[in-house]
Order: sequence, then structure tokens, then C-alpha cells
Amino acid sequence: MVEKVINLKGLKKKFGKFQALNDVTFSVNAGEVIGFIGPNGAGKSTTIRTLLGIIRRDDGHAEIFGKDVWKDSIEIHKRISYVPGDVSLWGSLTGGEIIDLFIKLHGGGDKQKRDYLIKRFELDPKKKAKGYSKGNRQKVGLIAALSVDSDLYIFDEPTSGLDPLMEAVFQEEVEKIKEAGKAILLSSHILSEVERLADKVVIIRQGEIVETGTLDELRHLTRTTVTLATEGNVAEISEVNGVYDFEQSDNQATFSADNQYLNDILLAATNLGVKKFEAVPPTLEDLFMRHYEG
Amino acid sequence: MREKFARWDSLFALYLKRDWKKIIVWILGVGLFSAGFVSAFEEIAKGQGLAGMYETLKNPAMIAMVGPTPVETAADYTLGAMYAHEMLLFCGLFAMIMSVLHVVSHTRKEEDLGLTELVRSFQIGRQANSLASMIETIVINALLALFIGGVMMSFGADTISAEGSLLFGASIGFAGIVGAGIALVMAQIMPSSSSATGSALGIVGLLYIVRAGTDVSNVDLSIINPLSWTYLTYPFTENNWIPLIFALIFSVIAVIVAFSLEGARDMGAGYLPEREGRGNAKKSLLSVRGLFTKINKGVMIGWLVAFVIMGVAYGSIYGDMQTFLESNEMMKQMFSQSGVSIEESFTGTIMMVMIVLVSILPIVIVNKLFTEESRLHLSQIYATKVTRGQLYWTSIGLAVFSGLAGILLAASSLGGTAISVMGDSATMDIVDFLTAGYNFLPSVLFFTGLAALALGWVPKLGKLVYFYLGYSFALNYFGGILDLPEWFSKTAIQSWIPQMPMDNFDAPIFITMTVISIALMVIGYLGYSRRDMVEGA
Repeated sequence: MVEKVINLKGLKKKFGKFQALNDVTFSVNAGEVIGFIGPNGAGKSTTIRTLLGIIRRDDGHAEIFGKDVWKDSIEIHKRISYVPGDVSLWGSLTGGEIIDLFIKLHGGGDKQKRDYLIKRFELDPKKKAKGYSKGNRQKVGLIAALSVDSDLYIFDEPTSGLDPLMEAVFQEEVEKIKEAGKAILLSSHILSEVERLADKVVIIRQGEIVETGTLDELRHLTRTTVTLATEGNVAEISEVNGVYDFEQSDNQATFSADNQYLNDILLAATNLGVKKFEAVPPTLEDLFMRHYEG
Repeated sequence: MREKFARWDSLFALYLKRDWKKIIVWILGVGLFSAGFVSAFEEIAKGQGLAGMYETLKNPAMIAMVGPTPVETAADYTLGAMYAHEMLLFCGLFAMIMSVLHVVSHTRKEEDLGLTELVRSFQIGRQANSLASMIETIVINALLALFIGGVMMSFGADTISAEGSLLFGASIGFAGIVGAGIALVMAQIMPSSSSATGSALGIVGLLYIVRAGTDVSNVDLSIINPLSWTYLTYPFTENNWIPLIFALIFSVIAVIVAFSLEGARDMGAGYLPEREGRGNAKKSLLSVRGLFTKINKGVMIGWLVAFVIMGVAYGSIYGDMQTFLESNEMMKQMFSQSGVSIEESFTGTIMMVMIVLVSILPIVIVNKLFTEESRLHLSQIYATKVTRGQLYWTSIGLAVFSGLAGILLAASSLGGTAISVMGDSATMDIVDFLTAGYNFLPSVLFFTGLAALALGWVPKLGKLVYFYLGYSFALNYFGGILDLPEWFSKTAIQSWIPQMPMDNFDAPIFITMTVISIALMVIGYLGYSRRDMVEGA
């Protein structure tokens, strides 16, 4: 039996009259990377803050390492690392000082790892934080979190403000912790990042989890984009069940297809004589858009 | 040459358009502060007031604070002489600081923000911005000078002549221009706008301290100090315009130096390299206490120094207490009581006033924890093994410590100065002062407790504690004059505490209030440990 690192059931949270979290239910197993996606205001950060015991849930069940996130928060915190989406620092302290402080308050970390990460992220640790850009502030948070050895890493939009090069460095470092068998909750709206790193995706919308599963599972639920060229009249395909958004130019057509009807479509196409057949699985972005537009 | 300053005039027009609200507030604010107290001073001058004030301000501690006067006998100390003596240095200082902030924010700060880059991409000269900002500041200070002169004349007081009024205004205006010149030079030398502001204000502060020294030891030396060119004009008495000529020459030189420095540097760079910070934290920072001490250090030192200055200022009055208090009906009512010596009754009242001010610092420190929270500074710390209790009690501890230190510094500087100016006639020793100060400790704890309560349950109301403090202060300060009913004055917390040394120590009150204050802190903790952190959301 795999240990459940995070276990959330029916989490609810209200701010005044605003129901921020309505029914948040999902779990994270040891060694799993979970991509937590949703637009701004959907409740990602609220969920994470509840997990960290920064705010208190109104109802539901929330455990990390089998311990209650509110009552046993300090026990839990000893084994987790967290980077907020908007790292805000004391302007009068330098990046290096703040990193040391965070590591120390966490209970100690690897000094060599710290220095290595500072080099990798190309941070100038001797500069006062008031002179840092958004990306550099984010680096300070990341370096501090990655320098300590934890069992669960929670990142709330960790790469906002980082340039693509640094984003790649972050992804490499996360892959390393993933290989070491640590659990990671990665909230993000950079979908390519989630696609690359996550084993499982949890999609939240208006305080409710609307989809959970591996990327493959989710892809199955949605449509594939097909480009088809035939010898016969390709227009006939538009009549087949499960074909949508049909667009034709000469004898080539592009359309989206329900995965469960793929076989029917292929049969119909073979009758016409296939010259070209390309099927592109939906990207996470397609999945995402489907949930938010539909 | 043309090229460098091309189109400065359109920038200048733009600035006036952009800043007109700020300019109005600036001129009205500094102007009314400088010129508007004539009626209040007429009140003080009544009866023996002028003579009393003259005696009081003659002692070195007061000269160090407000500057000298050319008047040599109390009889010649007119209303105008007193007004210039007490007000001119501070108003000049004010004008200087405003100009420093304005010039740096329009020059170096815009450079740091990247606005200058944008502006320079148009057909605008490389140094047009500095010229436009400088001229704007000069115009503002000129208007300020005229405004002050006009307001002062409008009071129509006998000894406040037209020439003196104009000179008074011009001295303040020139102080502003000198400040602008200093700021423009520092904006070229320093590596960033914040260090430019810091160093320019540092120079102004240094000039103030240096002139305190020369004013006391030998006033003739003060003439080389740019800050002294304000009060050395001695409006309403000697009406000496010569220091303003020095100020003019100084400003012209400063501007020329600044422009040549600017011409030779790259945009965004200074002549001094950015000071490197530490790559690693000192051990002393690496704890909640270390962190909170560090982030509160500036405000703590600032206030503690203010308490010492306040203590010295009030303490220096003790030498001429009799003259000072008898000179004015209002003062007499506020500070005298039958049956005790005038020094003792003054100590009782003034100690309470000072301890009210000391209470500000602990409130600031407790409220700071909420500021940190809403600025998201603590987000990452919440996810460590640091408990909410540690955050809360460390803040409270620091607040209580600063209250204790504040009382110590205020009471001992008051006592120390008082004893030294009273000399052989001293009737109290330092222990009397310290006891009188710590007698008010429960009130400091009470305000700390109130702030803690707000922090725990309704942090947004933390600022209201200042209102209650201000209310208590007003009630205590003017209570003696207004003759308020007992229950009404008891709404100010300090009124429950007897004023030592004229009254006796009341142990039950002391203990009860302390216990209540600690209870408030504990109740605050119960809220703090349960509530959602605000996190800006």
C-alpha cells in the first residue's frame, strides 16, 4: 500500500460570503508529482494555504503524512518545503542572508547544495533584496526551499517571473527530487511545465476539483485533432459520428475526433483511400481550455 | 551645451502639470507650519512670557536644539525675535528635507525606474531632466518664501516687520534650494536612488549636529555651515541678508558640480560602487528574534534617540523652572500644584507626557507583525517549524523590551539633565526620576496589550490604538486646564496612575494594571493562534 502524502476530502473554505473552496478532494502519493492547475481565483493558493495551516478550513478532511494540517502543522512543516507564488522579501536584507534565514528556520539544510543552487540559478546573493526583480525574488524562495531535504515540496506558481533558461533549471532540479522519490505539489498555469513534470493532473475550477487523473487518462476523455487527406471526396468524413469542427481545403480536412469513434472514422477514411493521416493528442492546454470554456 | 539641455522647458512644464497637487500641499504645509504660529506665540509672549522663554532658551541644551539668538537682554527679546529663534531652524530643515526628497525622486529615482531611458529616447537633452527638476524645485521654494513672508506680514504684529517677514521666508526658501543642490550632487555620486536620498539626508543631519556644537561653543564658526545660513539671518532683529548670498553661491556651485558629474557618467551608474552586502547571514540574524530585531532596528533606534532628546530638552528647563512657569498663566495651570515643589509637580506631569510618547514604540513593534503578514514577508516562514506562538511572543517581547528601554532612556536623560542644570539646588536624585518613570510602566504595558489584542483578533484595527493613545495624551496634557469631571479624565488610562514624585506609589493599581495588560496579551495570543493569516488576500 502506497503512503498517502496529501489526503484532502471535501475541503471547504469561505471568505466572508465568498465560497473560495467548495469541495476540494484529491490525494498525492509518495513519489508522485501532481500538477495543480486552474485559472487565477480558482482556489489553488487557498488550497495550498489551507494545507500549510496558514488559513483554517471550514469543513472537510485535510491530512499531510497522515496528520491534521491545522492541529499538527508544526510536525508537518518539519518535512515539507514551500515556495509561495509571490516571494516578498525584506528590502534591507541580502538574498544570501534571507536564504540562510529560511534554511535555518526550517531546521537546517545543505550548505553545499545552497551554494550550488545559487550558482545554478545565477543569483547574486550579496545584493539587497530591494534591488531584486520579481524573478530574482522567486529564485531566493526556490533556492531556500530546494536546499533543505524534505519529503513533500509545495510550489505555488514557482516560475512566475523566471526567464525560460531559469525555468529549465528549475525543471531539472525538480526532476532530481522526483527521482529521489519525493512528493511534489506543483501549482502552475504554465501548462508545458506541468506536462513535462507531472504524473497526475488535478484541475480546479471555482473551488471545486473538476478533473483528476494521469495525463493519458485525461487525454482519453477529450478529442484528438486529426488531419486527413484522401483520394475520394473527403467531405464524406464530416458525416461520420464523433467528428467535430470539420474544415476542408481541397481534399484535405482537419477536424477533432472523439477518441471512442476513432475506429469508425478510420474505416470511413480507408474507403476513400488515405493519402495522409496525422493524429495529434490533445495538449494539456486543450484540456484546460475545454474545462474553462465549456 | 544647448544639445545637453534641449527641451528642458517642455519637461519643466510637464512636471508642473504632474506635480501641481503635491506643490500646493508642499507650499501650504511647510508654509503654514512656518508662518502660521504667530498668534500662538503672541499667547506665549503675554505677561512675563518673553522673558521666561528667553531665560529658558539661553541654556546650552536649548541652543543646541533650536539655535542661538542675537538678543542680549531679555528686554530686547521681542515676539519677532522669539519666533525666528524658535522656528527658523526647524522650518529651514523641513524645507531642505522636502527638496532633497523631491529632487532625488525626479532625477535618480526615475533613472532607477527606467523612466529616464524612455524620456531620453525622445528629442530631449541628456541633462534636461536634471535642469527641469532643479528649476522646478527652485520655483517651488521661491513661491514658498513669498507665501511665508506674506502670511507672516498678514498677522500685523508689531515686531514682525515686512522686511523681517520676507527675510524669514527667503531664509527658508534658500534652505530648500541648498538642500536641492546637495541632493542633486548626491544623485550623481551614489549608486542608487535610495543611497542618494540616504546620503543627502545624512549630510543634512550631520550639518544639524555640527551646528549644535558650534552654536554652543562659538557661534562665529557656524557661519561656514550651510544649514546655519537660515537662522543666522536673524530676521526681526538684525535682518542680515548676507548668509543668503552664501547660500546662493553654494547652490550655484553645487549645481555646476552636479551637472559636470552627470555629464561624465553613464545613465543608472554612480561614482561610488554599490556597496556589497553579505553573501551569508550573520548568526545573530538566524532566528525569529534575530529577524524581528533586525527589521525593527531602524525604528527602534530612531524612537529611542528621540526619547533621549526629549528628556534632555525637558530636563534643561529645570534650571529656570520658576521663571519659566511663572511667566505664563497656561503653563502655571498645567504644571503647578500646591503643597509640592514646582520641580516635583513638573516632573510628575512631564513624566506622564513622556511615557505616553514612549508607548508609541511598543505599539509600532506589535503592529509591525501584521504589516509583515499583509506584505507577504512571512509566507515562507509559516511553512517552517516556526510556530505562531514564536512569531507572536517574540514581537510582544521585543515591544515590552523597547518599552522598558524607552522609559529608562527618557527618565534618565530627563533626570540627568535636570540634576546637572539645577546644580547644588537639586532636590531630587536620579532614582526619583527613574521611579517616577517606571511608575508608568503599566500604562506602556496596557497599550502593548491593546495592540496585541488587535493583532490577535482584528488586526486591521491595530491603528486605532494610536487614536486611543492620542486621546489619552490630549486628555492628560490639557486635563489640568479644562477642569474635566473625574469619570471623564479616567477614560485615559494614565489617569489611574498616581503621578510620582508628588503623589505616592500605589501598588494595587500598579499590579492590577500589569495583570490586565498581560491578560490582554494572552487573549490576543488565543486569537492569533486561531485566525487565518491575512496574506493580502
